[in-house]
Amino acid sequence: MDADPVAGGMTYGSRVAVAIVDDHPVVLEGVRSWLSADPRLHVVATGDDVDAVLAQGPADVILLDLRLHGRMAIDKVSELSAAGQRVVVYSEHHEASTILAVLDAGAVAFLAKHEGRDHCVETVLAAAADRPYVPPSLAGAMVGDRSSTRPTLSDKEREALLLWFQSMSKASVAKRMRISEHTVKQYVDRARIKYARAGRPAATKSALLARAIEDGLIRPEEIGTYRSYASPDRP
Amino acid sequence: MRAERLRGPGAAVAATADRGGRLAAVGIAFGWHAAVNLPGMIGGWDGYRVPWAAAAGWVLYVVVGLLGTGRLFFRFTVPVLPLTAVLLLVDALIFAITPDELIFHAANWGWSTVGWFALILYYDRGVAPMVAVLTTNAALGLVGVVATTTEADAAVDLSRFVMTVYGVAVLPIALVAAAGVLRETARSAAASETKRAAIESARLGAVQAQKERQERLAIVSEAAGALLTDLATGRADPADPDVQRSCALAAARLRRLIAESDDVPDPLLHELRACVDVAERQGVPVDLIAVGDLPPLDVAVRRRLAEPLAATLATARDWARVTVVAQADEVVVSLTTPATAGPAKESHSWPLDGVVDYWYERDEELVWTQTRWRAA
Repeated sequence: MDADPVAGGMTYGSRVAVAIVDDHPVVLEGVRSWLSADPRLHVVATGDDVDAVLAQGPADVILLDLRLHGRMAIDKVSELSAAGQRVVVYSEHHEASTILAVLDAGAVAFLAKHEGRDHCVETVLAAAADRPYVPPSLAGAMVGDRSSTRPTLSDKEREALLLWFQSMSKASVAKRMRISEHTVKQYVDRARIKYARAGRPAATKSALLARAIEDGLIRPEEIGTYRSYASPDRP
Repeated sequence: MRAERLRGPGAAVAATADRGGRLAAVGIAFGWHAAVNLPGMIGGWDGYRVPWAAAAGWVLYVVVGLLGTGRLFFRFTVPVLPLTAVLLLVDALIFAITPDELIFHAANWGWSTVGWFALILYYDRGVAPMVAVLTTNAALGLVGVVATTTEADAAVDLSRFVMTVYGVAVLPIALVAAAGVLRETARSAAASETKRAAIESARLGAVQAQKERQERLAIVSEAAGALLTDLATGRADPADPDVQRSCALAAARLRRLIAESDDVPDPLLHELRACVDVAERQGVPVDLIAVGDLPPLDVAVRRRLAEPLAATLATARDWARVTVVAQADEVVVSLTTPATAGPAKESHSWPLDGVVDYWYERDEELVWTQTRWRAA
């Protein structure tokens, strides 16, 4: 029997361990097959209860259905995030307010269930590396955010988020904005990092920020200095 | 109810028109009192039985006149009946203190003046109170004349009495009657003007409604009329994909026009849904996602926002994604769908209530249409 040409080159331990929590067996099986098909991912546990799933062993990323047995698990998200567990929330509820509440609770990413396999795999991989990943639904929630506690986005960041939400194609956004795809991604990710700085603290948010500095996405001095509209920073 | 509503503005106009009459009444009374009575009183001063009483009476008339003027011009509440009594008492007093030979002289100014001051008090109360006051004045005069006349002069004095009373009564009564007629005329003129204005505004409203209907009809005709004619005459082939696209576009336009007149909380979303609905019936799955709260938008702005998307949506073949991002001063609507044939690029800007910008781009991957409204 031939070894898998891609997976064969990787050690078991370097793959990202993913746990999936969902109360619909069909969805659970579907998502498991999406993730298992990618050699960089390894599904270590599945189930319909967070604690039971985590008891099966540690996971780098937990993919959590927001609505479990009829109730929204946002407090579970904050509990896990505070403890440093990377949570990717995926849900059929993609109202902007729900998405923003999930981010505030410390989830590393949000994914709408209709956003499909590629976004799902990419989100989990980015989450495992403490890197931001902004699927279009999340971009829409951020660009439509009118809450008083929202972070201040630059015009370019806002425009990149808006166009990404509209087109779901970074190549098209890049053409439209006359910048490179890489720069589009930077604008979008910087906006996401600004959200990690806002709201209540969580270990996962700190990890996102730390990695963003390491990657040169933001400068260290940009951290922790929330600039109020009331205090202009002129000397 | 309707008549009541019309009486309001009518009364206001009548009051303005009546102002001239009130000025005349006050002017005549004080003019007479100063120009005729004052010299008359001074001339007969030495003859008065009690001269200071004549002066006091003169001053009382001024006071009553001022109070009446306050009522006429500043809506003061004044006791009209007691003031009338004061006028008549002073009238009798002047008679009593005037020497007999000066009864028909300007020194006996009370009975020739009471009518003008009563006019100030009863200006807007019709003819009857004036007639009553002047009849009392005539009775007082008759008593005075009968008491002072001599047998030889009786016939002459009676004739002078009638002349005086007639002259004193006729003009103030005529003025009150004329003011009443003027007021009524102004009131009815104002009322008919109000009615005319109401009819005129209803007419303008109807003209506007008809214009809007015709505009809609023009859009509908443009959307579907020519196409239906071509289909009916066989010039257009229903199997031709271009014809099918045109039909889809016409259907979307008609649906949107129908949706425009619906009374719903978010009309823009409602109208977009109507377009999406048509595309879905064509078998194209469409995602319609809205974030943010829509501000109230004028129908012309909504048309500019939705129309270009409806046109592009009619050409969608595989899938389409419609997004609406709204905030108080900006609404952005976008449609993306896999690239099909069509122009490569287009853009417009319509300055409306604010500005609606439109751009359309097609690359190898996507057709992308975006309309954006920014508040003025």
